[in-house]
Amino acid sequence: MAHHAETGHPTGHAPAVHAEEQTTTGINHRKLLMWVFLSSDCLFFGSLIATYMVYRGQSLVGPYPVDIIDVPITTISTFVLLCSSFAMVRALAATNEDNQGKIQFWLLMTAFLGAIFIGFQVYEFNLFRAEGLRIDTNLFGATFFTLTGFHGAHVTLGIVWLVALFFVARKGRLGPRTALDVEMAGLYWHFVDIVWIVIFTLLYLIGGFDTGPSATISIDPSVLGFL
Amino acid sequence: MSSDPAAHQSRHPTLKQYVGIAIFLFVVTLVEFLIILPEDFRGQGWTIAPLVILSAIKFAAVIFFYMHLKFDNRLLTWIFLGGLALGFAVTMALVGLFGTFTPSPRSYAAANAVAFVHETEGSGGHHETAAAHEPTAETETAEPAPASEVQPAEPAAAPAGGGLVDLGRSIFITGTGEGVATACVTCHTIEGMPEAIGLLGPDLTHIGTEAGTRQAGVSAEDYIVESIKNPESFVAEGIERATPGLMTTAITSGLTDADIEALTAFLLEQK
Ligand code: HEC
Repeated sequence: MAHHAETGHPTGHAPAVHAEEQTTTGINHRKLLMWVFLSSDCLFFGSLIATYMVYRGQSLVGPYPVDIIDVPITTISTFVLLCSSFAMVRALAATNEDNQGKIQFWLLMTAFLGAIFIGFQVYEFNLFRAEGLRIDTNLFGATFFTLTGFHGAHVTLGIVWLVALFFVARKGRLGPRTALDVEMAGLYWHFVDIVWIVIFTLLYLIGGFDTGPSATISIDPSVLGFL
Repeated sequence: MSSDPAAHQSRHPTLKQYVGIAIFLFVVTLVEFLIILPEDFRGQGWTIAPLVILSAIKFAAVIFFYMHLKFDNRLLTWIFLGGLALGFAVTMALVGLFGTFTPSPRSYAAANAVAFVHETEGSGGHHETAAAHEPTAETETAEPAPASEVQPAEPAAAPAGGGLVDLGRSIFITGTGEGVATACVTCHTIEGMPEAIGLLGPDLTHIGTEAGTRQAGVSAEDYIVESIKNPESFVAEGIERATPGLMTTAITSGLTDADIEALTAFLLEQK
């Protein structure tokens, strides 16, 4: 990718702080740091997912997943989060095009869709609590709420970030030269989306129908290469 | 030239590609949903492979296009995939360490788990927690919590034997009548009875009829009484989970004759 001059030939755009700077890796430091952070966040979520899987099907009392998990509703909120990722790429594209109106619109749209997702989660958590599942009810509650709760916290942080960017955009400070500001928020946002892709599959589509320990949950060990 | 917007943009997919990816992600999610839509498919082992593969495809589409790793410095791809692989390895190591590749419940969980009954009040949540059992330990634990919950759950279910059958049911669940024994539900399953989901002893769903066939010349009633009084005396062959020696006199010796009569009446009803 060196031909895209990330290694930086000083081009006389000196004040363009965000234009590529000269770095040993050829990658902007902030962007590199963002990716290192996301990489480490994989480990964070990896261990929470591992905890869920280790205790899967070991709860002594209900509610068990099959008693309360509502896959259709969560499929809808998954769609919403996917839409928000699309809105995010549009925001970045608008920034590169220097289309001020669109930058603001798509940033706000992304945050809005993220907020709807969180709304679904708040609704779900409350419903679960009403049906008797709290974080201290059983192993399922403990691992489920910890994992999805931390994901929700990530989304919430992302919303705050996006709204902050929206206000920066209103001052007209976002544009091609500051595109990295939007790009970084975007990377974070998409990451939160892919974490949800994994959670949705493991906790809802696969684990959502788990019964209590008395009924055997069968996993064919041969498919575990994929997990 | 690097800060020229057009040049910069060429490192990102076009709008058309973005829309295409969005549609693709939608469709894949829809397919995933359709896979688990038929009731018979839900939670089936074979659904795991397609679901995991489909979501891995979605995952890749997002990181390579939305996060444009495909168009960025290769180093970023390695940094991210490195962390991802490490996270994956940690997950697999933990799961392997705890032996949950085949997450059959550990025997303690299997023997002690209580089925969940939705509460009508809708705001509860305390009963379930309270029902957490103590280990099946030698100390013959009486378990009053489920008993009090259960009585109302199956009110009209007592036919002929009436009071005696009900008493037997209660002893079967709690292990407590006049005397005390380890709760039978710890080890025995009776289908349709949410409390009786133990997996250590034989399934007693049809013991009322089967008991008469176990030993030539021994009636169902006698066989059941004998099974409770002298569990070691006879171990039927060819029954699942009929582990010799697991059900011992130590478990049942605390029961009085009246308790055994009630249990027998109850078990004879399980046809
Ligand atoms: C520690 C686990 C355990 C407990 C507790 C237990 N059982 Fe059993 N039970 C077994 C096993 C194992 C067998 C099969 C081996 C045998 O016959 O000894 C069995 C066999 C039986 C049988 C004969 C079943 C057949 O198909 O031949 C009856 C009847 C029975 N149990 C009733 C009871 C009752 C009533 C109680 C409660 C007082 C009880 N059990 C408690 C483990 C248990």
